[in-house]
Amino acid sequence: MSGVTLKNVRKAFGAVDVIKDVSLEVPKGEFGVFVGPSGCGKSTLLRMIAGLEDTSGGVIEIGGRDVTNEEPAKRGVAMVFQSYALYPHLSVFENMAFSLRLARASKSEAKRKVHEAAEILQLTDHLDKKPSALSGGQRQRVAIGRAIVREPEVFLFDEPLSNLDAELRVQMRLELTRLHKQIGATMIYVTHDQVEAMTLADDIFVLRGGVVQQAGTPLTLYDDPDNRFVAGFIGSPAMNFLQGRVTRRTEGGMAVAVEDGELEVRVEGAAPGEGTDLVVGVRPEHLGPVESGGFTAQVEMSEELGGNSYVHSTPPSGGGDIVFERRGVRERLTGQTVRLGAVPENVFAFTPDGVRVR
Amino acid sequence: MTTTRKIENTVLTAITLVAGAIWIFPIYWAFVTSIRTESRVVSESAGLWPDELNLSSYVDALFNTQLINWYINSIATAVITTAVVLVTGMMCAYAISQMRFPGRRLLYGVVLASFMVPTQALVVSQFILMNDMGFINSWAGIILPQLIVPVVIIVYKQFFDAVPKEMKEAVVLDGGGDYTLLFKVYLPLNWGITTALGIITFIMTWNQFFWPFLVVTTEDMMTIPVGITQVNDAFGVAYARIMSVALLAAAPVVIAYLIFQKKVTEAVMISSGVKG
Repeated sequence: MSGVTLKNVRKAFGAVDVIKDVSLEVPKGEFGVFVGPSGCGKSTLLRMIAGLEDTSGGVIEIGGRDVTNEEPAKRGVAMVFQSYALYPHLSVFENMAFSLRLARASKSEAKRKVHEAAEILQLTDHLDKKPSALSGGQRQRVAIGRAIVREPEVFLFDEPLSNLDAELRVQMRLELTRLHKQIGATMIYVTHDQVEAMTLADDIFVLRGGVVQQAGTPLTLYDDPDNRFVAGFIGSPAMNFLQGRVTRRTEGGMAVAVEDGELEVRVEGAAPGEGTDLVVGVRPEHLGPVESGGFTAQVEMSEELGGNSYVHSTPPSGGGDIVFERRGVRERLTGQTVRLGAVPENVFAFTPDGVRVR
Repeated sequence: MTTTRKIENTVLTAITLVAGAIWIFPIYWAFVTSIRTESRVVSESAGLWPDELNLSSYVDALFNTQLINWYINSIATAVITTAVVLVTGMMCAYAISQMRFPGRRLLYGVVLASFMVPTQALVVSQFILMNDMGFINSWAGIILPQLIVPVVIIVYKQFFDAVPKEMKEAVVLDGGGDYTLLFKVYLPLNWGITTALGIITFIMTWNQFFWPFLVVTTEDMMTIPVGITQVNDAFGVAYARIMSVALLAAAPVVIAYLIFQKKVTEAVMISSGVKG
C-alpha cells in the first residue's frame, strides 16, 4: 500500500511556477526528506500535501486516496511546525488533546491517548505546565505529541529543528529516528540541512527551483549523484569542482586535464571525445596528496577537528577553494604546494550545464 | 544608596504626593460637601475639614430622586453596549484580519473612516432615525447609536494580525474552523486586551452624557449622568445633594476599575511587549 504519492503536481503563485510538475512517492512507513536551498519549493510542496496550499495541477494521493481537493483536517496528516505553533494559553495536556476535543473524543479516550504520547516523548511530568515553562526541545516534543495523538497516516515536519541549538538538534534527530521506528507511520520532513536529510531519511528528494533533481536513498545520492547540483548539495564539506577538458580515452574512462595536471575519470558508457569541456568533481575525502599525477595546489590553512582535518588549498589558476580531508595525520601542510589526486572511481564528470557523464 | 540618590528619591516622592493631593482634592471636597447640610455648605465658616456627618443628602438622593432607576438604566445600557460592542467588534476584526473576501480592504477603510466622524455630526440624523423607530425614551434608543466603536475593531484587528500564521494552520489541521479559531484560540490569546477594551467601553458608555441627554426626555429612563442635571433642577442649587449623587454615580466605575485594575495593567503590558 502506498504512503504519499504526488503525480505531476504543480503550484503557481500568479504567473510564477514554484512547483513544476513534481512526481514522487514516499512509500508507506518510510521517512522521506525534502531537501534543497531556500526558495526551492520544499516547504510549499509539504504544505500542499497538508492541504494548507491549493494545488494548481496534478494529483496528491495519501494511502491510495486522492486528497488533492480534500480539507486539510480530512487528509489524515498531522504537521509539526518550525515555530512549534503551540497554544500558549493551554497546558501541555490541553495542547495535545486539542484536536481530540474538536473531534469530540471522550474524556477518557483523550486522556489515554495524551498519556500514551507523553510516555513516548517523556513529557509525562510536564503535562500540567504551560508551553512558556518548557525548554525549546520540550516544546518541540509537545508539538510532535500533538501530532501523535491524532494518529495520522502521515506526519509532516516543516524544518522542526531549526530553532534548536546544535547539541539539541543532534539529540532530537536521534529521537525522531527512534520515534519513526516506534510508530512506523509515513513521515515527510523538510529541511535545508543536508546533514539532517542524510541522517534521518529513508529517501531523500533534492529540490531546486520547484523541480526534483534526484530522489533516492542518502547513500545513492552521495555515491551516485545525477547532476552537479545534487553532487554539490549532498555531502559536507561540499564536493570540489574543477573545470577540465578531455585529453584522451583510457581503459574504462577518460583522462581530463585540470589545472596544471590531469585526473582520470571512470565512465561506464561511451566517454566524450577529446577536447570536450567538462566539470570534474571530487569529494574532499577522496582527494589527497599523491606522488605522481593529479594537479598541484597551494595549501592555505586547515581546519583541525582532532580525528581528521580539512585542508583548504588554492589551485594554480587561483579559482576556487579546493578542500581535501586528512585522517590521523598531525603534520601540517600550510604554505606548501602539494600534488592532489584521486582514484578514477571516485572522480565524477559533469557536462558544463551540470548533467552527470556516466 | 548614595546621598544624591536619596535626595532624588525624596524629591520624586514629594512631587508624586503633591500631584496625588491635587488629583484627589476635588473628590475629597465632593465628599466633605456631601456630608454637610445645605446651609452649612454655603456658610462662610465652613472649612476644609469635615466638621459634620450629615447623611441626609444621601438619603434624599436615594429616596427622593429616581437615582435607583438611573442606576438600573446606566448599568443595563452600559453592560449591554459593552457586550455587544465586544462581540461584534471582535467578529468584525476577525473577518477583516483573517478571512479573504472581496471588499475586505474597503470594509476596513469604512471602519477607519467612521472613526473620523464626530458623534455630534451624526446626532440629528440618529435622533430622527431613533424617533422613526419609536426608540425615544427606551434602552434601545440609548444603546443602538453607541454600538459603533471602531477603535475596538482596530485594536482587535491589530492583535489578531499579530497571531502567528502557524497557529491558525495548526487549528485548521486539527479540524477546527473559524469559530474554533476565534473563540478557542484568538480570544483566549488576547484575553487581556478583551478585558481592557471591555473596561474602556464600559466607562465610556457609563460617562456618556450628550446622546442619552437627547434621546431620553422622561426622568425614569435617564442614565446617571443625565439624572444629575435633574437634581439641580428639582431642588435649586443643592450642592450637598449634587455631590452625593455625583459620588454615588462614580462609585460603580471606580469599583469596577479597582477590581480589574490588575487586568488593565496586564493588558497594557502585554500590548507593549513587556511581558510575552
